[in-house]
Amino acid sequence: MDNLLLTAAAVLCVSGMAWLALAMDVHWKQVNKNPQSAQTVKVLRMLGYAALFVSLVCCLAVDHATMASLVWIMLLAGSALSVALTLSWRPRLLRLFALPFASA
Amino acid sequence: MFQNFRLSMAWLHTWFGLVLGFVLMAVFFFGALSVFDREIDRWAVPESRFDPQPMPSFDNLLRPIFEKMQPTKTDIEQFAPFAKGPMQERYDTVVTWGAYTTHRDPILNIFAGYEVPNAIEHDAALFTSRTIDPRDGKIFPDDSLKIGSRFFYPLHYSLNFHWMSLGYWIVGFASLIMLAALVSGVVMHRKFFRELFTFRPKKSTQRSTLDLHNLTGVVALPFHFFFAFTGLVIFAGIYFPISHTQLEKLHDQHELHEAAETGLPHDRAGVAAPIASVDAMVAEAKRRWAERGMGGDVGFLALRHVGDANGYVSVYRAGTDRIALTGEGIHFKASTGEVLREDPPSTAVESVNEFLTGLHLQHFRHWMLRWLYVLGGLAGCVCIATGFIFFVEKRKRQYVKQGSQNARVVDALAVTTVTGMLIAAVGMLIGNRLLPVTVPEGWPPRGDIEIYIFWATWVVAMAHAFLRSGPVAQARLNPAWIDQCLALAVLAPAAVLLNWITTGDHLVKTISEGYWPVAGMDLSLLVTAGLSFVAARHLRRKTQTESVAATNDIEDAEVQHG
Repeated sequence: MDNLLLTAAAVLCVSGMAWLALAMDVHWKQVNKNPQSAQTVKVLRMLGYAALFVSLVCCLAVDHATMASLVWIMLLAGSALSVALTLSWRPRLLRLFALPFASA
Repeated sequence: MFQNFRLSMAWLHTWFGLVLGFVLMAVFFFGALSVFDREIDRWAVPESRFDPQPMPSFDNLLRPIFEKMQPTKTDIEQFAPFAKGPMQERYDTVVTWGAYTTHRDPILNIFAGYEVPNAIEHDAALFTSRTIDPRDGKIFPDDSLKIGSRFFYPLHYSLNFHWMSLGYWIVGFASLIMLAALVSGVVMHRKFFRELFTFRPKKSTQRSTLDLHNLTGVVALPFHFFFAFTGLVIFAGIYFPISHTQLEKLHDQHELHEAAETGLPHDRAGVAAPIASVDAMVAEAKRRWAERGMGGDVGFLALRHVGDANGYVSVYRAGTDRIALTGEGIHFKASTGEVLREDPPSTAVESVNEFLTGLHLQHFRHWMLRWLYVLGGLAGCVCIATGFIFFVEKRKRQYVKQGSQNARVVDALAVTTVTGMLIAAVGMLIGNRLLPVTVPEGWPPRGDIEIYIFWATWVVAMAHAFLRSGPVAQARLNPAWIDQCLALAVLAPAAVLLNWITTGDHLVKTISEGYWPVAGMDLSLLVTAGLSFVAARHLRRKTQTESVAATNDIEDAEVQHG
């Protein structure tokens, strides 16, 4: 159960970072052809923060708050780094996170 | 002096970062390795490749070993400068016996401190330590070096440079500068959030290096900050040695007060007394922890004033399930086993201190966090290394015009501290596997030879980096980067292969048995080799296009002239 929750925390953290990155015009353009609407930016940003928050909740469910906060902060670092490197070398992979908004 | 704050910050960041960056590189890299120090030990000392063990029985196993223990010749020689007159050969007044273990230790480290009658400092004790197999009490040979916990780990905080404790001070100063570099870096960085996810490898080297420098610095900023800071907190006693300088009297007085308050005797009574069953005390401590709803592994067991009527036994709970190290100490009168004191819950200040030191030293059980720490440490290395490369890239053309050799020196030192350091570490592991288990008569101890191999390899890598640095003076790439990446791509798998040949533990075996300490080491070495090979290939392609571009430049120039 703990491993499952920690995996969920990691996946949510990466997703959150991906959404936050896609909410930025430069990175959206790396992934999609059509421009993003103001509405999309808002939704992406909300999704991003929500995912990061739920990720923290998952961490807290597994460990004591002191340990959980460390895990979460380090997950944030790892996720931001992996999203940044994905954008540099395989940006198309992030379409997965942009798909529902691509047509909007 | 400078036009604005940002420029002065840039000056600070550039020059202090450059000078102390070389130290910080070693601190970060060996810090990242120290996260898995025990696992590196397993790889380097094959006789210790078995499952972690709990604290063994004191009465049956530890006590006979402690009773036979005496300081080694080296211990006595090292203490000699702190004593008046010649040193004795035997030491019988035991100040303390102790054993410390964590959930990752198959072997147990035990230590003993002895009173030295002619010591200059009245409370200085002569310490000696042994490594034992907690299953049967077998003592491991003194000269088998635990490369992870006894070499890489101290290298991380003291550079293994113990003369006048200078290593500690250099690392401490570097950490302080690191904090300043982080703050000044944030001030210099104009697009902190806007470029959070930005790395453009296809742009110019100068641009992409700066991207990577910012990226690795910013995303792991909390990690960098907290580790530099907590590192200083851990050694605050060394950096502010007031308890043994200006405030020594107060410190001594405080100790007496504390002893009176806790009921734990500060001094020996001078009356001999036997030791009751320590195992019974441990059982009682575990029962009391269980009452408080806490898991009951013993992390630290210590006896004070051994053999004296004032002797007492302290049992501490292991810090497996939280950030803080051992705690919840329960103290017993050694002669009767009666409980003298149960440590009260930590005060707020103590808790903060325990959290700060614990988060850095990490004796807890959390494999995911452990790997994330490695990631943080390596991100720090990338940040520092790209700092060097950016420094060279930005200035190399200007230096060429001036005919200056500065870029060559900085670049060669960068090669030394990036690939050179990796080669030295891998070289040491190879040496560890190639040396015979017992070295021939007349050779230095095995562990010392391994240390010589480490430093010698590093010096060779450094010489190579400088010898090959000529092209940098013409604003081109130092071929030493490629050579050393290729060397790593060969040496790292060689270490894995040698581990297989000398111990029979190959990856298929270790992975199928789930023996991760050794499997993890082998896999990490292979990943290092893979990445080095990719890096070498990438750099070679780059030099080729670089030289084509250079010839085109010349042709262009000729065309213009023509």
